[in-house]
Amino acid sequence: MLSIASSELIQIFRNRLVLITSFIIPVAVSALFVRQHETFAAIGSLGYIAAIVMFTVAAFGLYATAVTTLASRRQNLFLKRLRSTAAADSTILAGLLLPPTAIAVVQVAAILTALAMVAGEPDNVPLLVVAVLATLAMMIGLGLATAGLTNSPEHAQVTTLPVTLGVIAVASWVGISGTEDLTLLKRLLPGGSATELTVNAWNGGIAVTDSLLLLAPTLGWVVVAVVLATRLFRWEPRR
Amino acid sequence: MSTTPVIEVERLNLSYGDFHAVQNLSFQVRPGELYALLGTNGAGKTSTLETIEGHRTPTSGTVRVFGHGPDDRRTVRPRMGVMLQESGFSPDLTVRESVDLIGRLTRRTDDVDRVLDLVGLSDRAGRKVAQLSGGEKRRLDFATAAYGTPELLFLDEPTTGLDIQSRDALWATVDRLREDGATIVLTTHYLEEAQQRADRIGLMHQGTLHREGTVSELTRTLPAVIRFSLPASVPALPLQAVVDRDGKALVETFTMQKDLHLLLGWAQDHAVELRDLEAGPTRLDDVFRAIGSAPSHAN
Repeated sequence: MLSIASSELIQIFRNRLVLITSFIIPVAVSALFVRQHETFAAIGSLGYIAAIVMFTVAAFGLYATAVTTLASRRQNLFLKRLRSTAAADSTILAGLLLPPTAIAVVQVAAILTALAMVAGEPDNVPLLVVAVLATLAMMIGLGLATAGLTNSPEHAQVTTLPVTLGVIAVASWVGISGTEDLTLLKRLLPGGSATELTVNAWNGGIAVTDSLLLLAPTLGWVVVAVVLATRLFRWEPRR
Repeated sequence: MSTTPVIEVERLNLSYGDFHAVQNLSFQVRPGELYALLGTNGAGKTSTLETIEGHRTPTSGTVRVFGHGPDDRRTVRPRMGVMLQESGFSPDLTVRESVDLIGRLTRRTDDVDRVLDLVGLSDRAGRKVAQLSGGEKRRLDFATAAYGTPELLFLDEPTTGLDIQSRDALWATVDRLREDGATIVLTTHYLEEAQQRADRIGLMHQGTLHREGTVSELTRTLPAVIRFSLPASVPALPLQAVVDRDGKALVETFTMQKDLHLLLGWAQDHAVELRDLEAGPTRLDDVFRAIGSAPSHAN
């Protein structure tokens, strides 16, 4: 797995387009939120900023990169080549997804640390970590499923839009308006309960046990995404 | 050497929707053998090969490689090298990185420099795959297949796009692997390669094994051919021949040696010059051309 991961990392760094669109832009957007935190905290809260930067990285960084990478490696038959070796399917996927995941983790950690330094520390760091990890897991699952519907890296620019724009919209909606109204709907939408969990972890004031219940819908989406992925994912281009 | 087959295919069927690509296909490949799986376009060769390699799941029937299912990658793959029909390398990795990565994942051990030298890519080691020519990509593909000297080697149209030197070098490497006892499964459109090298040939047509046997078993059923050109006025030929308006003659024979002797004696006696004389055994090409017309002799 590590040999696949390290070759994947080399490929990411050699491909400037992927590097810029997937890793530099999310960081730039997040930096803007952190810099203007007073403005955005007035609209929502500091927890809302934490949620929106987390989803910016998870959607435009991790998710979009995962879909583009998998579609591209399938299109040029690299996946088939890897499957001609002794490596198991799960090893191949883990190896391919490890670099973008690791990069996303580092990005989120760095940006949230920066936010904590300029705006004050979050109320519950472990809970925040759990929220981030659950969100990244959900986005990886959705990425695998979307990759099954994506024929080429160019096609990925279209197929990733519903999820990337969708989760950003949900995170903004839930982060700004809270979950007093339309509670069930907001929590069941992908990213809704993860946003609420992140907001609670940062702002505090909610019992941890109540917050942990919010993990259920996110983990539910992980399961849905994995089930979809096992049905949709393809290793070879359609002929 | 063990006589247990390296590959066993039994009543293999493969369907894509309504299309029955492979029907009730059975054959075996023995240890140390070079088995050529040949066929017309769309005959089902690649489907069959990819099932044996573990890329496709049979609709029904069984496939065994070294006595295991092809999907048992951990057991089977370290013992086999695969040269795919289309390369499948990442354009952003260098030649050395590609061989190192794929070689390592086969779980065989080898020296990357040795393998690059074997296929004549040492001077391209630091280049990105995107910058390689088609022939160089084929050689890279062969390098990953030959990495670690596997017991079984799949060569899917290995010499397509290779110049004659690279082709000879590839076959020299294959011959060396065979001396060590390797088993080879080959598909190719260059029939003379199969004719020269295959121990046995499986000839597929429309998803079934149309004929199977050694080259001489396959060619024996068709006549050999003698061709020559005749000057304007000559005495009657001593054997049956088709002569066209330009004097080009064609003799089809199952007794080449006798007929050739007869013809040469006749030419000598009548002082006739047989221009452009050629006589050769039946070629696989002719066996192929006969596929559409002749009834199947399979099984």
